Amino acid sequence: MATDVAVGRARRFKTIPAGPHLLAASVFFGSWELYGHLGNPLLLPPVSAVVAGLFEITFGGPLLPALFSSLQLLFVGFGTALLVGTLLGILIGRYQLANRVFGPFLNAMYATPDIALLPLILLWFGFGMTGRVVVVFLAAFFPIMINTYAGVRDAPRELLEVASSFGVDTEVGRLRRVILPAALPLIMAGYRLGIGRAVVGMAVAEVYLRLGGLGTLIVQYGAAFRTDLLIASILPLPLLGVGLTKVFERIENRFQYWRKL
Amino acid sequence: MAMTTQRTEKAATSAGTPAGRRVKALLVTSLPLIALVVLLVVWEVAGRMANPILFAPPSRVADAFVELTASGRLPQALFVSLQSLAAGFLLALVTGLAIGVLLGLHPTLARGVEPYIDAIYATPRVVMIPLVILWFGVGFWGRLFIIWIGGVVPIILNTAIGVRNVRQDLVEVAESFGASERQLVRHVILPGAVPYVMAGLRIAAGRLLLGVVIAEIFLDLTGVGGIIQTESAYFRTDNMLVGVLVFAALGVVMMWAFDLLEKAFSGWKERGAE
Repeated sequence: MATDVAVGRARRFKTIPAGPHLLAASVFFGSWELYGHLGNPLLLPPVSAVVAGLFEITFGGPLLPALFSSLQLLFVGFGTALLVGTLLGILIGRYQLANRVFGPFLNAMYATPDIALLPLILLWFGFGMTGRVVVVFLAAFFPIMINTYAGVRDAPRELLEVASSFGVDTEVGRLRRVILPAALPLIMAGYRLGIGRAVVGMAVAEVYLRLGGLGTLIVQYGAAFRTDLLIASILPLPLLGVGLTKVFERIENRFQYWRKL
Repeated sequence: MAMTTQRTEKAATSAGTPAGRRVKALLVTSLPLIALVVLLVVWEVAGRMANPILFAPPSRVADAFVELTASGRLPQALFVSLQSLAAGFLLALVTGLAIGVLLGLHPTLARGVEPYIDAIYATPRVVMIPLVILWFGVGFWGRLFIIWIGGVVPIILNTAIGVRNVRQDLVEVAESFGASERQLVRHVILPGAVPYVMAGLRIAAGRLLLGVVIAEIFLDLTGVGGIIQTESAYFRTDNMLVGVLVFAALGVVMMWAFDLLEKAFSGWKERGAE
């Protein structure tokens, strides 16, 4: 257990001079544009066509409604994973018995590639909203649960003793005043990992089901060989993943700062 | 199953005595086993009561496993899956090391290129499928690409970090003994980066296996993923569960193996730091 615990990811670069970025961007987008004009535009349309396509589907096109539907799925699925993952993580981090009983199964499920379960999940939970939410839930659940577990398990023993000599002797009091505050940085890191994986789960559910959302849009443009619109509709996904991860990184860093005090 | 009931009986009769404490410890260590037995029993009972289209008890899954194995379908599918997994792993390892060393040695290049690598890493591979079909088709090469692109990124990023964190004193010693750039990379920088590469490999392992599943379900109905997807069209839940369990076993074995590998080499890192 707890092999994938991640604490705040070290910043790779402190200060980023613009030079290399501009150079790399002009080489990257320049050769893409060039290939798009010289090569087969069906395989890779020029970047200008992709940008034009992005405008076309954003304003008055199907992108925004699809994005909205995707976000709904994302937040319901991630919210459930956050709730259940945190509670179960506290339970098996706090009680040795629960850990021994559930630990091995949770480990085995964590090692199982979750997409292999996709056809079964949809068979069990239906092709409506419930089935899709379960897919997002399963993707985000494990990093949240495992990080909460690790944080709660490693609660500082001496602080617990101090708390008990100051009269904190109920389990709820211990959790609220000592264990959870101490575990917060790890729990937050779990949420950050979880939101990234939830975005992937969302895409998986939508591509597989083709019932709406960004994933469905992507499949439709792929089937119609509209490669420009296809790439344009893929773009929001990494932006969503990186953006939401950054938001959670911000929240996480605030708690790291608090911990150092 | 017989063993666990025996243990429970023993624990009941001899608890409290010094020997009883040992038995109690044994009982605690056998708890996961007891939980497994309970799970199987509940699954069996529930599976017999539930609609056979939706659910299959372990006994039927075991039958399906024997049947799929005897007919040669499962071994063949497993061979296809393992083949693409091994090919994807080797390709990701070789290209990941090469690009990682390059980016680690040239920080300016890394600054320019890494945002694009991060963007690829953040894009769910399922949505790349339509592009992969256009670029590589639905056969082996398409599957290889999906597996490779998931595994290569953690190897690149970790190798680059390992190369950047090379011990400067060792580099200076090697340089003062007249080592060339190539010798420096081979004898000082790469060995120093090995623990980081191993950590990257452990992350890559899960993503490589996930790539196999994605490629076989979404791109090319073949291998063990192909069995799961094809059988779902016929509502053969037992056969689907066999496929899922095979992937689960593969996942557990890979995670365990790469954990061991990482631990073995992180000892090397600590010894080296002394």
